[in-house]
Amino acid sequence: MFFLKKKSALNCEDPGVADKRTFYRLDLDRPFADFDFVVFDTELTGLKPKKDEIISIGAVRIKKMRIAAADTFHQYAVPDRNIPTAGTMVHRITPDELKNARPITRVLPEFVRFCGRSILVGHFIGLDMSFVNRALKKHFHCRLHNPCLDTMVMARLYQEKCREGFHDRFDLRVSYNLQDLSHQFSLPIFAAHDALEDAMQTAYLFLYLVRKLEQSGYTTLKDIHRARGSLPVR
Amino acid sequence: MNKKDKQAATPAETMAFLHSTLPFHDLDQESLHRLALRTLIDFYPADTIISHQDETEITHLHIIQKGAVKLFLTDRDGGVSLQDFRGEGEYFGALPIIQGTRANLTVKTEEDTFCLLIPREDFEQLLASEPAVTRFFLHSLSEKMVKTAYSELSRNRISPRGDGAMVLFNALSDSIMTEPEIIDASDSVIKAAQTMAERGIGSILVRLDHGRINGIITDKDLRTRVVARGLAYNTPIAEVMTSPLTTIAPTATCFDALIKMMRQGVHHLAVADGEEISGVITTHDIMVLQGTSPLYILREIMAQKEISGLYPLAQRAPEMIRAMLDDGARADNITRLITVLNDHILERLLTLLEEEMGPPPGRYCWLLMGSEGRREQTFKTDQDNGIIYEDGLEKEDIGYFKKFAETAIEHLVACGYPRCPGEIMASNPKWCRPLSDWKRYFNNWISNPEPREVLNSTIFFDFRAGFGDLSLAEELRDSLAHQTERKDIFLLHIARDCLESRPPLSFFRNFLVEKNGEHKNRLDLKTRGMVPFVDFARLYSLKHAVTETNTITRLGRLGAGGHIAQALIEETVEAYEFIMHLRLIHQLDLLNRGQEPDNYINPAFLSDLEKQTLKEAFAVITRLQNHIRLDYQMAEG
Repeated sequence: MFFLKKKSALNCEDPGVADKRTFYRLDLDRPFADFDFVVFDTELTGLKPKKDEIISIGAVRIKKMRIAAADTFHQYAVPDRNIPTAGTMVHRITPDELKNARPITRVLPEFVRFCGRSILVGHFIGLDMSFVNRALKKHFHCRLHNPCLDTMVMARLYQEKCREGFHDRFDLRVSYNLQDLSHQFSLPIFAAHDALEDAMQTAYLFLYLVRKLEQSGYTTLKDIHRARGSLPVR
Repeated sequence: MNKKDKQAATPAETMAFLHSTLPFHDLDQESLHRLALRTLIDFYPADTIISHQDETEITHLHIIQKGAVKLFLTDRDGGVSLQDFRGEGEYFGALPIIQGTRANLTVKTEEDTFCLLIPREDFEQLLASEPAVTRFFLHSLSEKMVKTAYSELSRNRISPRGDGAMVLFNALSDSIMTEPEIIDASDSVIKAAQTMAERGIGSILVRLDHGRINGIITDKDLRTRVVARGLAYNTPIAEVMTSPLTTIAPTATCFDALIKMMRQGVHHLAVADGEEISGVITTHDIMVLQGTSPLYILREIMAQKEISGLYPLAQRAPEMIRAMLDDGARADNITRLITVLNDHILERLLTLLEEEMGPPPGRYCWLLMGSEGRREQTFKTDQDNGIIYEDGLEKEDIGYFKKFAETAIEHLVACGYPRCPGEIMASNPKWCRPLSDWKRYFNNWISNPEPREVLNSTIFFDFRAGFGDLSLAEELRDSLAHQTERKDIFLLHIARDCLESRPPLSFFRNFLVEKNGEHKNRLDLKTRGMVPFVDFARLYSLKHAVTETNTITRLGRLGAGGHIAQALIEETVEAYEFIMHLRLIHQLDLLNRGQEPDNYINPAFLSDLEKQTLKEAFAVITRLQNHIRLDYQMAEG
């Protein structure tokens, strides 16, 4: 029992885990390259936060605005209730991959440690965060306090910037789906088999958007944070 | 973390991409994996300057994953020229890492560009531990684009063979294609195996039941799909062949074919013009083609079992040199390489000849003299050689060497090395002598110098051992080294000889060209341009007992030994290399046009930069001659 506890327990005082206060003094005026980012993506049994669960997490680290190709995180979790069947599965997990799955109580602490004090990045990150935090709360009575950046919001900001001065300023026909954006910006395309590949794709999108937004004058987190408010509600 | 999880977190996409690039294609999985673990990914929007020439410290090798960059060179006068364009799968930043310098060029993104970054230390380690990677970079860089003058020279002169001129960029249809061998899908695998064995080929195309050719069976298929699985030998080919065929158009270049093979992981491509299959191209064919790569030719030479098999190999120097010049190799490296090639031919030829004639009756050494002795050959250099054999051999034994030399010279002529007009060849009884006679010859030249004799003997002082018992040549060299040092009169004769030829520049620094005759209005690069450098280096090497024979090595030793000011040595080496380079390109150009290589160039056809550089090179000759004058006026008192 001791062994299990040691392995899986997540203590909010753990030095590897960032608590709320860690980020109070975050200087949002510093350039992007000064921050560490973790870009992540989850796979879920479904989209209902009360009922569905995380079945895998993939994450990629960015330091000095460069992706470290090997500094990645990828784990499968056994769902408590919903064993995915062809019908319930949103994502693409094969039974074989499920064999390597471990209890979520083992996966989460490792993921939290992987995140450390980094700023978290995801595509439509609100959804992933709500699942992660719900699970953290349920099993460990704590949550991630790391600041988050949404590449979808950044993409909208960038597109708005590109269309500035055009009559039809907010084009509602544009798809903000990760794959569509990646194609639209001519990024290298990943296979999109699993959470790690989606996280990697998001990381490429993030690099692209940060550099492009820098050229439009958004050079700090604060700039992006401020501009976010100006986006129209969709 | 269990093993599977770890596996899942490895950068599979990064590995796959690295594997698809040329420099890293030959790495094994383990090395690729290690490399991928260290790789970073960066993004540069269009028009970003990634590195500034001479300023940026290069910390990573960049490999373009998506996008494209342009490379610019700023020359001394501040002029900026576009040097290259690199696209997906190509790299930049290798040369500064290899040379340990800052950025050699300015790199600017042409499009939005994603790059894989390999840290400098890891790239260096890879160069140290992976011969395939080292070869790739050394071959493709060899000082590429370091000097504007050189690259300008290459661009102007060697274009007739097309951009880049590498054979790799020839269309498949004009270079390599094996006539296809065809078999029916219903035939047995044993028939396929027999056909391959009979024809000495490694693959056969397969005609399917409906009559169309759309499959292939290779010797590897026979091993892995038939023998290893224990299938019966009457199994129909249809069950083990690969179908459909991977095809490529005949207009594609060999390079395209190579890329396609790499991307698809196959070793055979069918060359198809529409439905019509006209041939098969294999990785082996391309390897043979890359046979312009020096290493490959050397292997071929050493593998020859018949002397006549060496004839065509010796003729391949021009294509090899063309490829090297295209890659920006320096003249000095090229002449050394030609020397290595010739040395291998000689070694193989004489080894085979010994086998043919039986073992020699005593120790002997094949001597090389003149430019061969100096390791400075270009194309079709005349033979200058001799034989030293040990003292005290019987008369009939000497007869062996006479016949040996005569036969060897005939074979060398067949290989394309013309006879020496002055008969300085081992077949001349005067130059096929025992060691004591050779010592006497040199002693005579040194001790009783006659101006004419000195003039004719200089090339002997550049001798080196070519084949056989090298200790004989060493003994001769040793006996000579300290004799010449104190022989002031002999050295004075040589010094006078050095001053004979004036640099071909007029008072107003115009080129002095031949006034009449066959080469009217042309400049004799060899006699007027190169010989003064060779003479200078020889004179001071004899004076200071430097035993090297290569001009550039001699100069290096003289500088290192403190005999001549380092600054003068450096400009001398640069000037000499430039003239050699100019001559090589001129000769290659003549060969391309089917003419005999010579040493006469028309200055009117040089670009301004070349003219300027050549004038500066000639000006160095004046400085060398002044140096000699100063030295020997003092000696004369």
